Amino acid sequence: MVFGRRPKDAVRRLQEGADRDELRAEGTTAAVIDASIEVDEGQIFVVMGLSGSGKSTLLRTLNGLLEPTAGTVRFDGEDLTSLSAKDLRKVRSEKISMVFQHFALFPHRSVLENAAYGLEVQGVPRAEREKRAYEALELTGLKGWEKSWPDELSGGMQQRVGLARALATDADLLLMDESFSALDPLIRRDMQDQLLELQKTLKKTIVFITHDLNEAMRLGDKIAVMRDGRIVQIGSAEDILVRPANDYVASFTQDVDRTRVLTAGAIMTCADEVLGTTAPDGKKIATLDDFLAAAPAVVGEDTPIVDLFTPCSVSTVPVAVADKAGKAVGAVRADRLLAALGEDDGGPAAPAPRPATDPAPADRLTKAAAADAKKDAEAPEDNDPEGKVSAGA
Amino acid sequence: MPRIQIGSWASDAVDWLTNNAAWLFDFVTHVLNGFYTGIHAVLAGPEPLILAGIFAIIAWWLRGLPAAVLTFLGFALIDSIEQWDETISSLSLVLVACIITIVVAVPLGIWAARSRAVGGALRPVLDLMQTMPAMVYLIPGILFFGLGVVPGIVSTIVFSMPPAVRMTELGIRQVDEELVEAAEAFGTHPRRTLFRVQLPLALPTIMAGVNQVIMLALSMVVIAGTAGGGGLGGSVYQSLSSVDVKLGAEAGLSVVILAVYLDRMTGALNQRVSPLGRRALAKAQAALGGMKFLRWKPATSLATVGVVVLALVAGGMGYFGKDSGGAAAGNDGHGRSISLGYVNWDEGRATTFLWKEILEQRGFKPKVQALEAGPLFAGQARGDIDVQSNAWLPTTHEAYWKQYKDKLEDLGAWYDKTSLEIAVPSYMKDFKSLEDLKGKGSTFGGKIIGIEPGAGEMKILKDKVLKEYGLSGEYKVQDSTTASMLAELQRAYAKKKPIAVPLWSPHWAYNKYDLTKLKDPKGAFGSGDSLHMLGRKGFSKDEPLVAGWMKNFHLDEDQLTSLENEIQTAGIGHEQEGVRAWLKKNPGLVDKIAPSSHADYAKGKDAGKAPDIGFPAWDEGIATTYLWKNVLEKRGYKPKLHNLDVGPMWTGLSTGQIDVETDGWLPVAQKQYWDKYKKDLVDVGPWYDKTSLEIAVPSYVKDVKTLDDLRKHKDEFGGKIIGIEPGTGEMKRLKSTVAPAYGLDGFQVTSAGTSGMLAELQRAYGKKEPIAVVLWSPHWAYSKYDLTKLKDPKGTWGAENHITSIGNKSFPKEFPEFHGWLKNWKMTPDELNSLEKDIQDAGKGNEDKGVQKWIDAHPGIVDKMAPVK
Repeated sequence: MVFGRRPKDAVRRLQEGADRDELRAEGTTAAVIDASIEVDEGQIFVVMGLSGSGKSTLLRTLNGLLEPTAGTVRFDGEDLTSLSAKDLRKVRSEKISMVFQHFALFPHRSVLENAAYGLEVQGVPRAEREKRAYEALELTGLKGWEKSWPDELSGGMQQRVGLARALATDADLLLMDESFSALDPLIRRDMQDQLLELQKTLKKTIVFITHDLNEAMRLGDKIAVMRDGRIVQIGSAEDILVRPANDYVASFTQDVDRTRVLTAGAIMTCADEVLGTTAPDGKKIATLDDFLAAAPAVVGEDTPIVDLFTPCSVSTVPVAVADKAGKAVGAVRADRLLAALGEDDGGPAAPAPRPATDPAPADRLTKAAAADAKKDAEAPEDNDPEGKVSAGA
Repeated sequence: MPRIQIGSWASDAVDWLTNNAAWLFDFVTHVLNGFYTGIHAVLAGPEPLILAGIFAIIAWWLRGLPAAVLTFLGFALIDSIEQWDETISSLSLVLVACIITIVVAVPLGIWAARSRAVGGALRPVLDLMQTMPAMVYLIPGILFFGLGVVPGIVSTIVFSMPPAVRMTELGIRQVDEELVEAAEAFGTHPRRTLFRVQLPLALPTIMAGVNQVIMLALSMVVIAGTAGGGGLGGSVYQSLSSVDVKLGAEAGLSVVILAVYLDRMTGALNQRVSPLGRRALAKAQAALGGMKFLRWKPATSLATVGVVVLALVAGGMGYFGKDSGGAAAGNDGHGRSISLGYVNWDEGRATTFLWKEILEQRGFKPKVQALEAGPLFAGQARGDIDVQSNAWLPTTHEAYWKQYKDKLEDLGAWYDKTSLEIAVPSYMKDFKSLEDLKGKGSTFGGKIIGIEPGAGEMKILKDKVLKEYGLSGEYKVQDSTTASMLAELQRAYAKKKPIAVPLWSPHWAYNKYDLTKLKDPKGAFGSGDSLHMLGRKGFSKDEPLVAGWMKNFHLDEDQLTSLENEIQTAGIGHEQEGVRAWLKKNPGLVDKIAPSSHADYAKGKDAGKAPDIGFPAWDEGIATTYLWKNVLEKRGYKPKLHNLDVGPMWTGLSTGQIDVETDGWLPVAQKQYWDKYKKDLVDVGPWYDKTSLEIAVPSYVKDVKTLDDLRKHKDEFGGKIIGIEPGTGEMKRLKSTVAPAYGLDGFQVTSAGTSGMLAELQRAYGKKEPIAVVLWSPHWAYSKYDLTKLKDPKGTWGAENHITSIGNKSFPKEFPEFHGWLKNWKMTPDELNSLEKDIQDAGKGNEDKGVQKWIDAHPGIVDKMAPVK
């Protein structure tokens, strides 16, 4: 995605290896370069980066508000970049909705009218759209506020209206542009919780933009870190935290409360290591069952490590990590726990890859692949199966 | 640095547009005029108080009860101070201008907001429109659109457009981009985004722009007044130009009431039409308690019902109360409209309203307009004003006259006792003459407060008067305006401070203040101007009757002063009543000034009688006979004309077949007939005595002055004298007496008749050949050619003839009235010559038209020739 004069030239120059600063000196801004992302259905995909990193631009290419200079956006089997303006508007009104940083509520419409806006654009009759708007507002906890005006609501409530407006259209894809950034921390947390709560039942596909890594870690099934218009890393929260792709990502993760992000599964060692050791009470630990019995606590793989400190401190036996069947799959030793806090590269041994928690391959995938300028030519020939879309910026 | 001729380019462009784009301007004028007339008709229809009631309901709807009460009181006050009509005119003008401005400006603003290029291109244009002084384009506006409301509307649109465009652009740009993006993100069509999101949110700003438009439009109304826009602007302008504080205060107050009303209403309109405004209003009202009824506003539907009810009442009253309209007062005009313009000086107002009254009595529909000299001349040059009554020529309005004289007609001066002078208050006892000013510069602060720099008097004052009296270094003439000069005079006069101002007589300042006209012993100011009536080009052709009246119009000093006084007494807005009062004291004056061409000719006593009038085919015979035919017809006679040779005519007269003829040349030329038939005839009485018989030669034949000379130059003339009909007295006299006395016997005297003689004369004259013709006076040939009457020192042509009317002896009994008229009838050589020429110009068969034209140009002539009691 290139802004400025003669964007096509800039794309060619990028393909030839020019970097962003060179272009900027010439008055063109390459906002998003070589960004390929793929979002699966039902996933919360977080794009994280500092301001100016191109994340908002990337988001706006996904619903066609901005058209990529090069590359494609494929959504639900359709190439959005090739749609006519009219068809694109139809897709936006029915399948993609958006929540904005500063809420973007229409001040001249009541809460209900705001929530019903998307439906109004679709041409849904008044009675039905009000009914659906009522439902959406109820879902976001605003029952009883329908007749109020946006300026009578607090920031958090306003954003709930924004969310209700996005949900009311029943779109499959929800684009959230720093939606919680303007809220104060407590409200932000509430909203995050509510979003996660809603997501449990609604199972929307969400692309969430934030500059707050904590938020990214909390919400994101998958996180893309952007810098200077390029994606520097895509992975799960642990991946980012534990295996930062470079110093930039690492420095980014410095302030993250790792104890809440890292899970037992991420730092555990093989349970076999415990076998043969002696418990404080003198018992030998010979089998995994012994281990489970002797361990100060048995936790699931998803347990954040913040919950492991107390058990670790009361016993020399590592905390046991069990799978859903109750079988011990790993152990967390106190020293490892501490090592994990000192962010370096995750301790002596690379942790076992986290088992896939994602659902089985979706029958329908939302994949946004931002091909960079260099790959531009290849993008359309991408071998992605039908149902995937690639987008280039 | 070479001179860049921007000014002349602009002037050329204006000329070019005036000449080539007239259709466009006419179209615009037509549309705007129609628009204005429509709105004005609606607003001016209802009774003032009912319309005030409608305004009050609107105020109630928009702002609540107190505003409604104040509105009603305000408009009632306007009605009370007699500014209602003006206010309605101004309101109509403002409404038309604002509606057009908004219809154009809002889309333009939207376009500018959506396209940077348009916005950028528009900005300098808007700057130009906003900052260019309105007076600069008002004059071209007059050239394009004529006088009246249209240039006012156009200037107002130009002036008030920029804020509307800017505020619209700003309003739309100000709408949070995220909101627009949100609308887009939900798949809203751009047009819908504009109408459902951007415009509603920009509406408060746009309404602020509309408010600005209305305020600016109202401020332009005053300027439009100087271009004949009328309304309150006209009142304000009138008060300015005559330092009429009373009128100024009233008109100014009306402007203020109108402005405050429009301002508050448009401000409040925002709260009614824009959702955001409604929100803010609801909030504000929720916050207030108590006295709720003051803030209670009727719902829109209720207010509409109220307005409709009052409108119906107004309509009903208009329908039933319609007066049947005065009976047609006269019939010369047949309702044709004549627009009279004047510079708002006393003598201008006086004559203009006098003429308005006169023209109304004569069945015209005159309109009067006070204007600045510039717009007045420009408008008249364009044909918008038919007549202006107080052009000061040749000095004061010289510049305008020079510029526009091709497009104007001078209808002549009607007053010439004017003078230009420097005046000082008479409490400055030592100053009696311009010479007294010398060395006293410090008394006056070295200043003479002048008038408009373009005025002729200023030029004379600066170029001549100061120099001749040696005041050049000592005094500085300050450019100003007449109004400012007069205000300055009033200020100084009130404080008894020294002041010297250029002034002119007649001027009302001399009545209001005790002033000394400084004597001008060196005559540096020159002789005074005359006050001229100027017609637009073609006016005397279109309205020969009126032009004729005006050409003969004259007022003396007493008349003018007394007329001005009556008008002054009647007061502003009642000028015509003053005129009527004055006319009452001057009975018969209207008939004298504007003798009606037909309608009100009283029938003669013998009306219906049909005298048989004979006439020879001689010019004066034709002329006078047709003149009398017309006069008699106006008096109800049915004259029958008989064109006869001289012999048969006299015979007819003697037998009574012919009752009368007007072309008897006695005692010489037709002596033989008279002698023969006189027992059956009466000599009614001569009407012309400056006749002579002669031989004439073109004056380019230099050496021939007398009949003796003719003989000496016989060869040059080919030995020929071109004669007329052989039987006439003159031919006989030539042969029997004249020729022998001067030895002209050798000349061959042709006898081809009068017309042959005249044709020969014209032919020779064209080739500058010598020719000698038998001629007589009066004859139009003397006005057409430069001829020398050959002197007859021996008096051989005999005693001079007079022309007399000859009647059958029964004529005095049968037509006593006609006989009396003929008996007292006289004509001057000028009258006869001009009559002959008019008939000649009208062409054969159109004698009546020529006569009518001449009668029109000689107002009162019918009453003079054929007086009835």
